[in-house]
Amino acid sequence: MNDQRKGDHAEPTTHFGYKDVPESQKAEKVAEVFHSVAAKYDLMNDVLSGGMHRLWKRFTIELSGVRPGNRVLDIAGGTGDLAAKFSQLVGPSGQVVLADINESMLKVGRDRLLDRGVAGNIEFVQADAEKLPFPDNHFDCVTIAFGLRNVTHKDEAIRSMLRVLKPGGRLLVLEFSKPTNKLMSKVYDAYSFAFMPLAGKLITNDSESYRYLAESIRMHPDQETLKAMMVEAGFDRVTYHNMTSGIVALHRGIKP
Amino acid sequence: MLLAGLLASVEHGLNRVLRLDSTALPRLRPLDGKVIAIDCRQPALQLFILPGDEGLMLATHWANEADCTLRAPASSLLRLALSQDKSAVLHSPQVELEGDSAVLLDLVAVLQDLELDWEYEVSRWLGPVATQMLSGHLRSRANWTRQGLAALNQNLSEYLAEEARTLVGQREAEARFSELDTLKVDIERLEARLERLARSLDTSDNA
Repeated sequence: MNDQRKGDHAEPTTHFGYKDVPESQKAEKVAEVFHSVAAKYDLMNDVLSGGMHRLWKRFTIELSGVRPGNRVLDIAGGTGDLAAKFSQLVGPSGQVVLADINESMLKVGRDRLLDRGVAGNIEFVQADAEKLPFPDNHFDCVTIAFGLRNVTHKDEAIRSMLRVLKPGGRLLVLEFSKPTNKLMSKVYDAYSFAFMPLAGKLITNDSESYRYLAESIRMHPDQETLKAMMVEAGFDRVTYHNMTSGIVALHRGIKP
Repeated sequence: MLLAGLLASVEHGLNRVLRLDSTALPRLRPLDGKVIAIDCRQPALQLFILPGDEGLMLATHWANEADCTLRAPASSLLRLALSQDKSAVLHSPQVELEGDSAVLLDLVAVLQDLELDWEYEVSRWLGPVATQMLSGHLRSRANWTRQGLAALNQNLSEYLAEEARTLVGQREAEARFSELDTLKVDIERLEARLERLARSLDTSDNA
């Protein structure tokens, strides 16, 4: 939906933050960002969100409806926060697949979960959200937390998630969104464009990745647009919950 | 979000406490996958408890149906948490229990039987020698305090009952109550006799 196609012969372009880049380059550029931040990803999440990302993920788990024996796919699972909890909830009879397109993030996530003793019912798969390498009607729940805005073709990714879900299965999209309060929006803008790149520079010595983060959040579809995209892809009963005045929204849809 | 943050902190603290008892987490394992809903009526508040072998998970929402739902006002829930006889509170008319009550009773039993090995936790920070000294000191202080309070209680009651005569002693009160009971029964017996006599007088007048 964010994509723009120029002319018949020129390569279609898409957003990479505020820049337009050829579609074929976006995945590579996003990969560079995450290769750069992977090692300190958790620390940066805690610093930049003031620990709030833990509460946002907690709420996602509460709405997931995951129960023992379920099969769960956590796309863009990064360092495995959600996957660890899902592994506990589905139990030994269930299965959790942590998928990420980025090799560095997947390695950090896998090492972290194995170090914490999370094993047995969890698999790690390097996969593109647009072309999920799983059979149709396979998962009871699919989650993607802070990953959809980095996907080149969001509509294709949502359709792919619909395909792998069983009928009655839930898709949960946790993503930055548009603040609902004007004052909060101004404070948030100042915070994102001044503090986030500075913190990135100080902690990971990489301000560009965090400038991209702030820009990519602004280019991501707002609550209603994402809801419409999910409905268009074929999801039923699509609802969303704003958290922290809409800075983050959790969208939930059911496969009919 | 504020409540979620509070619950996350409570959950973290509770699970640390549970880990102090080496038997608590294995006893929670059979409850893995069960969902207990606590529905507080006054004030209206809902809480979900998910026990598992890693401790308890607390949630303000849960998308699935609960295995057991406990509905009660906050005062009854507080009594349930603090009372020694929890089954008496569970059977009170203000408390409603729906679903598989065994899940809740099993969880309550685990929490009631907690024997916290706080010395182990302290020894991780202070070392075994310092912990031994500290725990010995604390134990003797606790014994001294317990004995002191018991002696104070006894001396105070003896002073008030025997010396100051402000209160009546327990045995004296029991004897007096017993006399009153006897007197009450005697009066009832006399009343019955008088009634019988009045009836017999009425019958002879009519004849």
